[in-house]
Amino acid sequence: MRSRDGNHSFTLRLCTIIILSSLALNAGEYLISYKYIVKNDVLFNESLDISKSMKKCRGIPAQTLILPANEQNNFVKLISHHRQEFIDYIHQLGLDIRSKDTTTNNQINSTTIITLKTTCFKVDFNDNFVKISHLKQP
Amino acid sequence: MKYSLILISLLYMTACAAQEKKAVPEVPVNKAETIAVPNNTTINVTYKDEKKSKMCPAKTQHPMTKQKKDVLSIHEPLIISVVGQGVAPVNTTSPAQAYALAKRAATADAYRLIAEKVKGVSVDGQDLIKNMMVKRSTVRTSVQAMVRNANIVETTFKDGLCEVEMEITLSHSDFAQ
Repeated sequence: MRSRDGNHSFTLRLCTIIILSSLALNAGEYLISYKYIVKNDVLFNESLDISKSMKKCRGIPAQTLILPANEQNNFVKLISHHRQEFIDYIHQLGLDIRSKDTTTNNQINSTTIITLKTTCFKVDFNDNFVKISHLKQP
Repeated sequence: MKYSLILISLLYMTACAAQEKKAVPEVPVNKAETIAVPNNTTINVTYKDEKKSKMCPAKTQHPMTKQKKDVLSIHEPLIISVVGQGVAPVNTTSPAQAYALAKRAATADAYRLIAEKVKGVSVDGQDLIKNMMVKRSTVRTSVQAMVRNANIVETTFKDGLCEVEMEITLSHSDFAQ
């Protein structure tokens, strides 16, 4: 005899598939690079480049940043709204530092370049928040 | 008989006291000696007194033992703290922008200081001398490193100068291979 909730497992599976597929559709991978140059203790140039990845990135999601979602699910706009938080998050990932000082006849000239090499990030858009995860190379 | 025993013991004590007096080293520490060289030049050689080093071993410790605190050990993590400085550019539109840009510059300076402390600096010098005069003296220093998990502790902005205090905790496992 068939029980009253006989289709319970089927419904659960269906719901899970729908939820996961909707999440997958909203997820994306982005390549991000960041660089800034400081000359003689004054910020000279700063650039943050964001591009959607053309191919699937390899890696394990490591450190995560959660930001409140915007209406259009546009990652670039989201970052421009929360730029400072995102840059603080990037600093935690680890940055490459190159500094050169030249002292000629007791006059110093210094240049410091700080770079985040092009790194892949997984971005999951949800209803109220966006989850950004750094993909760490295995 | 009793008196003779007392006399002997007194004599023994005085003899011991005299020996102790002899054992105390004399004041001069270094001995100077003059060596005559065949071509009539004299060289003054000073030898260090070996007795001194034997008498006080605590003073002859290696100077590096004082710096033991700065060495990373397995059990204790090492905290490195630096203060980076940055100045806002001249052509800023608002004080907020000036603050943000100065803070970025100060952060970069702090990162450089951490890299200098942890990894070291390579130094290259060059002097150009013409007609017995220094025409140009150049010193180049460079650092290259990757810094992760450095934290900003405090930020101050005063009279256009931004100071960022940054800290990094180094543990033995970060370097173990």
